[in-house]
Amino acid sequence: MGRVNLQRMKVYWPLYAMAIPGILFLIIFKYIPLAGSVIAFKDYSVFKGFIDSPWVGFKYFHKLFDYPDFVRVFGNTLLLGLLRIVLVFPIPVLLALMINEIRKSALKKGVQTALYIPHFLSWVIVSGIVFDIFSLSGLFNIVLGWFGHEPILAMQDSAYFRPVYVLTSIWRDAGWGTVVYMAAISAIDPQLYESAMMDGASRFKQIRHITFPLLLPTVLVLFLLEIGNFLDLGFDQVFNLLTPMTYSVGDILDTYVYRTGIEQAQYSFATAVGLFQSIIGFILVYIFNRLSKKVSDGGVW
Amino acid sequence: MLKTRGEKTFVAAITTLLLLFSFIAIVPLLSVISISFSSKSAVVQNLVSIWPKQFTLDSWSYILDRPDLWKSFFLTLGSTVIGTALALLITALLAYPLSKVEFRWGGVIMVGVVIAMIFKAPIIPYFLTVRGIGLYNNPLVLILPHILNPFNLIIMRSFFKEFPKELEEAAFLEGSGYFRMLFQFVLPLSKAVLATLALFYAVVIWNQFQTPLLFLQNTDWFPLQMKIRQFITDDNIIMPGAASTVDLNYNERTLRSATVIFAMIPIIAVYPFLQRYFVKGAMIGSIKG
Repeated sequence: MGRVNLQRMKVYWPLYAMAIPGILFLIIFKYIPLAGSVIAFKDYSVFKGFIDSPWVGFKYFHKLFDYPDFVRVFGNTLLLGLLRIVLVFPIPVLLALMINEIRKSALKKGVQTALYIPHFLSWVIVSGIVFDIFSLSGLFNIVLGWFGHEPILAMQDSAYFRPVYVLTSIWRDAGWGTVVYMAAISAIDPQLYESAMMDGASRFKQIRHITFPLLLPTVLVLFLLEIGNFLDLGFDQVFNLLTPMTYSVGDILDTYVYRTGIEQAQYSFATAVGLFQSIIGFILVYIFNRLSKKVSDGGVW
Repeated sequence: MLKTRGEKTFVAAITTLLLLFSFIAIVPLLSVISISFSSKSAVVQNLVSIWPKQFTLDSWSYILDRPDLWKSFFLTLGSTVIGTALALLITALLAYPLSKVEFRWGGVIMVGVVIAMIFKAPIIPYFLTVRGIGLYNNPLVLILPHILNPFNLIIMRSFFKEFPKELEEAAFLEGSGYFRMLFQFVLPLSKAVLATLALFYAVVIWNQFQTPLLFLQNTDWFPLQMKIRQFITDDNIIMPGAASTVDLNYNERTLRSATVIFAMIPIIAVYPFLQRYFVKGAMIGSIKG
């Protein structure tokens, strides 16, 4: 047996050698941090490390719910997550259905290129643009001026943070979100449309009775993935759009973890917040996956 | 194809709407570009909407004379090029054994990869771990955390799996080992998937913000995105001694606009040529995911 293994290794060792850097990467950058989540139940000390820091049980989770800050931040996160699902998620579906109706390919390409481009800009750049557009003499207020409206400082006013979050999400990512749906639409059997046209179905009826229903499974899968990221609103986006004036509505779990954990070095507490966030996310995926199985006997797994 | 008048109106309405959306998508960019090419006086009088007024290159020449901006630019460019190359190498080196049935760790590692894909590393333990291995205030942190993405790994593995066995067997008979196989046969025939994944890695490294925010305190090592953020948020950095410069043809706002466009140029410049790779990649991703 030992000899057989040795024989094997003579031929196959390169495969094992190749895998080593990647495995090391996964261990260091994924698995040690994942295991390090235990410090949510410990009093983490930099000198003792993940393993030797003393256990404290649920101390930090109790602390979590005693902080009025945390409750507010959690509420902000839930609300923004909900807005994203309701207002942002459907846009790429609608856009894809619309783009699909354009048959002139040059026009179609042009529209797609224009809609895709913002996706490749970092949130730092997007926020730079957005702060300029909404500044006192920015484009937004110039246009408001045409209609005789008083200027609005949207970025410095907590009443506008949520709309700005939704609009920037749509502006940057909705166009790119159509790619997946366009792929699903192009996989639909053209014969379906041909026979529908023979029966005299209008373009609108074809969308309603062929394209949309056949697109729905893709929509459902992406919807579930979206639910899985419900509390994951995008650190870069929120962090770069926030100002001290909008903290009250724009501070979310991700920025809260950053502030308490990195800036104030409350490592165990911030880890507990992060762990709480993951657990809620996981429960949401589980519930919605069960629901979708009931609805469509599909589900993601 | 279009039979009734109703259908023509329907398509015309959709086309008009989409053109409007496309316009909305690029108007913010036009506005910022215009401001960067306009004079201070035109900007403060609210004359600039989507076309430059009192055209001037002063903001741009000021920005392009900033050595700190160029330093960040080349640091970012360098880390993107080296990081992307390294990422492709490490990804291929793990994806190749994972595509082979004779690799006995394959099953276990694949489970590990999928788990790593589903569960994001928690940020605080991640911070402590990465700081613990000496990457705090170390420019290598711009590269090392990005050299393997589980999702990209799975895409590459599925691509390798579709290689015809006969080709490899012939090569083995000639005495090549696995390393030669990978580098002389498999990778040269994988240009399409390598190009797509290179783009994915490059965009992540070029646009990275959270990693440098967490790990780089030393402004000497600020990559472009951190530098831009400094310029956007701190008037003293973008325009030191602003009060004494009333006679200049630029102000903080025109300079900020020029900086934002400056950071965007590389992406806008390469994007039209690479769009089909991006789209192809996103489609592969959606099918596998």
